[in-house]
Amino acid sequence: MAVIVIVEDNAQSGRLAAKLLNNSGHRAILTETGEDGLTTIFETSPDLVLIDLGLPDIDGQTVIALLQQQPALAKTRLIAFTAWPEATAHSMAKAYGCHGVIIKPIDTRQFVAQVEAFLAPPEPIAQSPAQHATTGSLHDDSADRAAAE
Amino acid sequence: MTTQPTELPPSKAFAVLASQYSYDQLADIYNQARVDYIVPMPMNGKRMAEYVRDYDVDLNASAVALNGENQELGVCMLGVRADRAWITRLGVIPERRGKHIGQFLTELMLENAKLLGARRVQLEVIKGNEPATRLFYKLGFEPVRDLMVVRRPPGAPSEQLNIASAEIEPLDSAQIAALLHEYEQTQHAAWTEEAISLRNSGNLRGFYAALPNAERGWLIFQRLPFQLTHFVFGGALSEPVVQALLYHLHKTHNAQDTKVENLPTDHPAWRVMQRFGYLEVFERIEMYRYL
Repeated sequence: MAVIVIVEDNAQSGRLAAKLLNNSGHRAILTETGEDGLTTIFETSPDLVLIDLGLPDIDGQTVIALLQQQPALAKTRLIAFTAWPEATAHSMAKAYGCHGVIIKPIDTRQFVAQVEAFLAPPEPIAQSPAQHATTGSLHDDSADRAAAE
Repeated sequence: MTTQPTELPPSKAFAVLASQYSYDQLADIYNQARVDYIVPMPMNGKRMAEYVRDYDVDLNASAVALNGENQELGVCMLGVRADRAWITRLGVIPERRGKHIGQFLTELMLENAKLLGARRVQLEVIKGNEPATRLFYKLGFEPVRDLMVVRRPPGAPSEQLNIASAEIEPLDSAQIAALLHEYEQTQHAAWTEEAISLRNSGNLRGFYAALPNAERGWLIFQRLPFQLTHFVFGGALSEPVVQALLYHLHKTHNAQDTKVENLPTDHPAWRVMQRFGYLEVFERIEMYRYL
């Protein structure tokens, strides 16, 4: 059984991940902001953290950078949990010293195995040891998907 | 301000002023609209409030679209500075798309910009967001240049990047104000990186770097508790000067994460920034439309 903190602002996605991990015998703790995530991680020293790169209060990369500077968390596996394009997600995760990446939306059949593979501690490689799900299509032909930054 | 553009969408959508909503509510609508975005960048109410303040967003010229059942469909905001306006935070909630709400909101912002006396409207769209890019072309926007969002994880720079002969001199607040004023006269910065954005953001720091050959440049940036952001380079921006500036910055703030938004792809500092471990996260296209 591993203690896993999920830092994910999308409640639906976070609850699904937590349920799958809890049903597999792990203790998953769901937090929805960077600040709550940091507090929970400092309190629990988890075995693994799944962290969304886009959070509403503090950027996920900044949270990861803060966690990397905590000696007490040296054994905690940090996994980027993101819907970003795969190439971007992997380059960011590698630059920030994550131990891997899980791309959202998750494949519920593979998700627990993906997470558990990261609990075996190789050196940081920013590569998923399990076949990871790919991102769904982010584009359609509707102008309603328009977004000015 | 108007909440109805000349051309109504082919649905029963209508708009209300964004000022009728709290920052938390606006952040919630925006987050719902961007949940499946290429690079989701959610905000909480506090971040939304800062965004509105820093970038001169006029909530009385910004709008939330609703349907006939008073359900929020999407949001769009308008920043206003003198005779320029900026369309931002446009998004339509995924399950309520398909009714041209994005176009409805954008046209509304164009009309509000005109009413406020704007002669130019600008925006940025993330590269790869083809539906949005098509919409903006359709509405008369033209691309101006490409901008990058770049990041650098914490860590001291390599000693090999040190220019030992460089002299570093910190800038006090009066010097920062004077340099930003000077920069304002010549700047061609993206909206978020204009001098006024930096002044609105606050927490500014800066320093000069001078080389023995008399080249002298400066860097002003915003220092947040965990992050360095909003970079403005000025003076002589030769590669050695930029290198001296960045070396000092990251040597001094080696525990800080760094994020620089909307850096032009042809910015003279970019080549040197890459030597310090900066990575491009994604690109945006800056677009203008003259009214």
